[in-house]
Amino acid sequence: MSPCILTVDDSSTMRQMISFTLKSANFEVVEAGDGVEALEVAPGKKLALIITDVNMPRMDGLTLVHRLRALPEFKFTPILVLTTESDASMKQKGKEAGATGWIVKPFSPEKLLEVVNKVI
Amino acid sequence: MKSWFSGTPATGPTTSQEPPPQGGASRVALLRMASREAAMLEGQVNFLKPELLQADSLVQEAAGTLEQALRTLDQRVQHQHQLAKEVQKAMVITLDGAQDSSGFDSISSSIGGTLDGFVTAILEISKSSVQLVGEIEDIRGRSERMEGMLGELSEIAGRTHLLSLNASIEAAHARRFGAGFAVVAGEVSKLADRSTALSSTIQEQISGTRQALERTDAHVQGIASKDMNVALQSKANSEALMQALEASNLRVKDLVGQIEVNARSIAEQVGHVVRSLQFEDLVHQTLTACLKEVGNLMEQAQAWRAFEAALAAEEPEAQAMDALESILSQIEASRVQFRAVKSGSLDAGDVDLF
Repeated sequence: MSPCILTVDDSSTMRQMISFTLKSANFEVVEAGDGVEALEVAPGKKLALIITDVNMPRMDGLTLVHRLRALPEFKFTPILVLTTESDASMKQKGKEAGATGWIVKPFSPEKLLEVVNKVI
Repeated sequence: MKSWFSGTPATGPTTSQEPPPQGGASRVALLRMASREAAMLEGQVNFLKPELLQADSLVQEAAGTLEQALRTLDQRVQHQHQLAKEVQKAMVITLDGAQDSSGFDSISSSIGGTLDGFVTAILEISKSSVQLVGEIEDIRGRSERMEGMLGELSEIAGRTHLLSLNASIEAAHARRFGAGFAVVAGEVSKLADRSTALSSTIQEQISGTRQALERTDAHVQGIASKDMNVALQSKANSEALMQALEASNLRVKDLVGQIEVNARSIAEQVGHVVRSLQFEDLVHQTLTACLKEVGNLMEQAQAWRAFEAALAAEEPEAQAMDALESILSQIEASRVQFRAVKSGSLDAGDVDLF
């Protein structure tokens, strides 16, 4: 059975590109449009990895990371932040929130798969 | 020094950065300036907002079309990859009873070996046929010699018969004393007759044998001469066929290799498309930030309209200016400090693992 990855982004294009890349490497992909939807979708999915954007409506990515880490089910699940934000202070906030890694948009499919395979 | 009261038209939100001077200006001039400033800002908003929304919509639509094209392209590439694998699989042949599947090369070698064995066997048969022709020739010679002997035997039988006849005549001359001799002469005559009959029968048998030998000789000579040529020609034809098949096999391998190279190249290009398509999101974020700034411009216009209305309502100028400055400062403070596409290039962003 293929590992399942949750991708969270308010841009449907970004979700499509992430999903396209991951599915081409035989991963199963679940999508959510923001942090709120992600918290609804994630429980019980046995996720191998979560990839989230930062700037999203209703609930941003860093809050989502905080909330997920508070749940026993996702305490040790790798979480990658995929965002346009590249400031060191933002990365530090992501690290403190419990993110596993930080990827600045745009991603190259090859590099994304390399990182995904490294963290799961 | 530029005067805020000089009646110079506003040039956009930067004009609002300049604090209104205190005192000395006529209320009418202030009203005119507020009206101009508000109208200018409203004009900019009315121009920028639909343009930005349309740009966002167009980029999203274009990205959607590209996404669909990308998926179709990916499906085609996957299908092509599958076809190449099918061709490779079709080139592996499993012989009945074989443990492992073999490639075309080993099958070709196996067929070549089988043909060689077949031709060798045919050549051995041909060689044996030549020996058989010699043996048949020997048998024919012996038959001819036997026929010669039978001729002599017939002659002896004839003479014996004549001798018995003479003996019978002599026995008749001897009358009573030759009676026993006449019986012997009669028996000798009978033996001579039987010998002649037997010789004739043997002659017929030998003649039949010779005819059978002639027919066998014709068949064997046919095998000895024709089969060798057929076998050699068949081998030459088979070798030519195998060479043609091997050449075809190499061509197919080469084409499959080219398909794989193409597939890798397309996959690389697909990667570029995936990266480039993400700029739809980045452009959307930039346009969203611009729209927020347009909203700020609208708020500035509303602030100027409020200032204008306050002056028209004969409110104290200082109070109206304070209110205007306060709103403009709030707008300035909330201005978006954001650039979605920071690098200004299409290169992929950095990766940091914590």
